[in-house]
Amino acid sequence: MSAHESEWTLRRLSAGELAAAEAARARAHAANCAACGATLRGLEQDQARFEAAVPFEHFEAGVERAVQRQRRSESFRTPPRRWVATTVAMAASVLVVVLARPLLSNGRGLNGLKGGAVAELRIGGGSGPQREARTDAPEALDYGERVRLGYQAHEHRYVAAVSVDAIGEVTPLHPESGESLPVEPGADMHWLPDSWELTGSGAERVVLVLTDAPVSVDALVDAARRAFLAADGNVERMALLDVPGEQTHWVLIKP
Amino acid sequence: MRELYTKYGGSVMGRCRYLLKDATKAEDAMHDVFARALTHGDDFRAEASPLTWLMKIATNHCLNQLRSERAGWRQWFERDAAARSEGHGGAGELETRDLVRRLLAKVDVETQAAVVHYHVDGMTLEEVATVLGRSVPTIRKRLERFAELGGEELRVR
Repeated sequence: MSAHESEWTLRRLSAGELAAAEAARARAHAANCAACGATLRGLEQDQARFEAAVPFEHFEAGVERAVQRQRRSESFRTPPRRWVATTVAMAASVLVVVLARPLLSNGRGLNGLKGGAVAELRIGGGSGPQREARTDAPEALDYGERVRLGYQAHEHRYVAAVSVDAIGEVTPLHPESGESLPVEPGADMHWLPDSWELTGSGAERVVLVLTDAPVSVDALVDAARRAFLAADGNVERMALLDVPGEQTHWVLIKP
Repeated sequence: MRELYTKYGGSVMGRCRYLLKDATKAEDAMHDVFARALTHGDDFRAEASPLTWLMKIATNHCLNQLRSERAGWRQWFERDAAARSEGHGGAGELETRDLVRRLLAKVDVETQAAVVHYHVDGMTLEEVATVLGRSVPTIRKRLERFAELGGEELRVR
């Protein structure tokens, strides 16, 4: 065990967050330890420098402007469930697609698309700019961000999407029941009509499947559950689902 | 609002400046983070440690912003080089936090967050694991992989 307090503990002490007993112990230690005392004084000096550089009135006005921006974005929200789907009109207003890029099997992630088929998961709706999720590494989401799925079907005729959360709960995203739906005609990138906000925390895997024949949503959900169990309940280690067609996976880390 | 300012302003601004290395962008990011605390008031008030919540949000926000900027990492390295030439004697005198910054772009975004909380915030492995909702072995593994990029200075203790 270290003889010093962690810097994080001292930072929490400086912010007045520690419980009385822990605060007293940490403060007593810092008073008698040159290294921890210096760290604590450094943190206090950082705050003093901040206050000198950014007057409170300036801070308050800047935060208020940011609140207004975020509230305009919030006004698009619907009541939370694990996945929150929203309407086409709302999604279009939140997510303006500016780029579509083929996702070929060139990474460590799961991307079963070959030939001309393309899939993309786009993240937006938060306070930052939109971005495309990678398939070869988990993608961290910020609060308020939502996702939208797109595809170029090439020669495939049906599309469906599901998600699996960290405890193995599978949610059909598109469609929510029945069978996978016909793809939109044309070679352009087509976006599924809903965008989704993930609630809860931990990892969530999103899978988009393109097939030549309809696949029942129940079969997709079962395949996702089997893959989750085969990965010993680790949603980040799941393999491709045992279903026909081609599929792309993304792992998202909820805030 | 004043309480947020006096208790957490310096820490959040420090995080944004460390990652974005641009005073204007850092201040905008800081405003966004505190605005998030106000617009997600229930989540924020439910936190045992508001500082942890704010630093996690600030870290994710800045890392996502860097990823979103077109060629963001390249510009970021240019800012890094400029900052070094002003503040340090050269690469040989880089401190651990400078070394961490130089290597961040080489790892995935979750490892980036773990690395920042561990090496920059001075959190313990257990604290990082709690913040990121991961197990301690998972965090240790990610940090050890990161350490392979930078040598002894980044060893996980």
